[in-house]
Amino acid sequence: MQPAIISVNHLHKHFKIYKHHRGALGALCNLFTREATTVRAVDGVSFTIQPGELVGYIGPNGAGKSTTLKMLTGLLTPTGGEIEVNGRVPWKQRRAHVAHIGAVFGQRTTLWWDLPVIESLDLLQYIYKIPPAQFQHNLDEFRTMLELDPFLNTPVRSLSLGQRMRADLCAALLHDPPLLFLDEPTIGLDVVAKERIRQFILHINRARGVTVILTTHDLADVEKLCERVMIIDYGRVLFDGRLESLRDRFGGQRELVVDMAEEYATVDVDGATVAAREATRVTYQFERNALSASDLIGRVSARYRIRDLMVREPNIEDTVRRIYEERLLDEE
Amino acid sequence: MNPLKYSANRLQNQDLKLFWHLIQLGFQQQFSYRAANLAGLMTNFFFGLLRASVMIALYAARTDVAGMSLQDAVTFTAFSQAIIAYLSLFNWWRVMLAVYSGEIASELLKPTNYFTFWLAQDIGRAIAHFLTRGLTIMAAYALFFKITVPQTVGQWLALAVTLVLSLLVSFGWRFLINLTAFWTPDARGIGRIAFGLSWFLSGFMMPLRFFPDWFVRLCHLTPFPAMVNTLLEVYLGLLEGRALLGALAQQVLWVIALFALCQLVMRAGVRKLVIQGG
Repeated sequence: MQPAIISVNHLHKHFKIYKHHRGALGALCNLFTREATTVRAVDGVSFTIQPGELVGYIGPNGAGKSTTLKMLTGLLTPTGGEIEVNGRVPWKQRRAHVAHIGAVFGQRTTLWWDLPVIESLDLLQYIYKIPPAQFQHNLDEFRTMLELDPFLNTPVRSLSLGQRMRADLCAALLHDPPLLFLDEPTIGLDVVAKERIRQFILHINRARGVTVILTTHDLADVEKLCERVMIIDYGRVLFDGRLESLRDRFGGQRELVVDMAEEYATVDVDGATVAAREATRVTYQFERNALSASDLIGRVSARYRIRDLMVREPNIEDTVRRIYEERLLDEE
Repeated sequence: MNPLKYSANRLQNQDLKLFWHLIQLGFQQQFSYRAANLAGLMTNFFFGLLRASVMIALYAARTDVAGMSLQDAVTFTAFSQAIIAYLSLFNWWRVMLAVYSGEIASELLKPTNYFTFWLAQDIGRAIAHFLTRGLTIMAAYALFFKITVPQTVGQWLALAVTLVLSLLVSFGWRFLINLTAFWTPDARGIGRIAFGLSWFLSGFMMPLRFFPDWFVRLCHLTPFPAMVNTLLEVYLGLLEGRALLGALAQQVLWVIALFALCQLVMRAGVRKLVIQGG
């Protein structure tokens, strides 16, 4: 096995939040009292990532995703624990570290607000000290792939969100970083724009071998891109593994939707529960581990005449929602 | 040729190249704010007229105060108004705003020294302000008043040197004040006090030589005279020989001290950083 490109060991980040008293008198009190509560934004996270992986880092708001990413990119100093990225400790060697990573934080841009896109990109050439030939080669490739040409001379402040994101992705990759951090790369984008971004991420992972770590709220991103997913909540890693194994373990109930030939008084079948019933359409729910779909279909068709049917897999969205809400992973 | 040395040379050149490009960036960005620049120009000019008339009133019964003629005193108000924008004396919050908005995240993701990154951009900004505001104000004044202008090549040379040094001292000071944003959510209040101090102690409001000796000596313990007073006295030709060299040396020392302090405080601040927003 190759050495890990990222290794994180018992990572902690605690923030102190100072209580604020309300009102004019309260403001006066604030000067003298400093009542603090400690928030454990990241609370003992450990993982390793191999070169070439494409990992989804997901969790509800406030779970600690962005905080972890900011520590990995060298922007925040951990309260405790260790990080090594590309053989460097991010917060100790910030400049050397950031020269060898790419990062896009979806909510903000790394480009200059007032400058045309191309001028921002030109500046990055000098900031990252990219040899001219390499710069030109990369710029040409990304310009075509991300279709930057129509707005290359537009100031960043006049770009649409999708355009800005494409420009930012290009900016993050011009210096050929082996590692790319994406924080909510598809946030606020329409379906077409999202798809385009995803295609690009897949391409740079597959064709260029760039290791990608992305956080997202859109589980379609994870489904379409990531083989490995990490779920984080309350500052801890709840799940770390392949997407299918998440589905297998927590996929919960599958559904069989049956259109009966006629309306029966009762439609009960062993091993499945009736989740919904509307005229001749009946929806059964059944456990994937207890009963196979074909067995259930056999049981239903033995008792009733069926006109049509369809098996529905639980989608990842529901699975993850259940994990968050019912805290399915908590006991582990 | 030693390859290590060669690559070191190359690197240095690249750093200089970047520095130069950042200067251009700062210069260029000033022209995005045309309305603000015009408003600033008008304010500087009219406030300057007011200050000039106060000076004229002060001189009503005399021809000389602390070695300065009335013409020198009026020129003093003109020149000090002309360099407000150039030195960005009372208004520079870029780093503070970046910390509060979370913008600093994007800036720290770039492999540059954060201090030099802003220094270069500030030099660009200052050049733009020197051309658009400084020269314009001096020219406008010359229409209304008789203005003193350096007479010898040596004076112009000294002026050029002290102009650069004043900017560097002022930048070091402004950057340092901005860095307080890493520790307090109300760095703006601290900034206002700090800039208010510089108003008095730098000799901007009144030439320092109008004040009692003990006060001037106190001022010289701070970096403020090295921002404005030295520059003004050099422009007016009030310093000569050893006094001139001494004043310039003092500026150099303040540049070194403030820059070193900025680097130290910045390093501590980045460790302490809490980035706002998602």
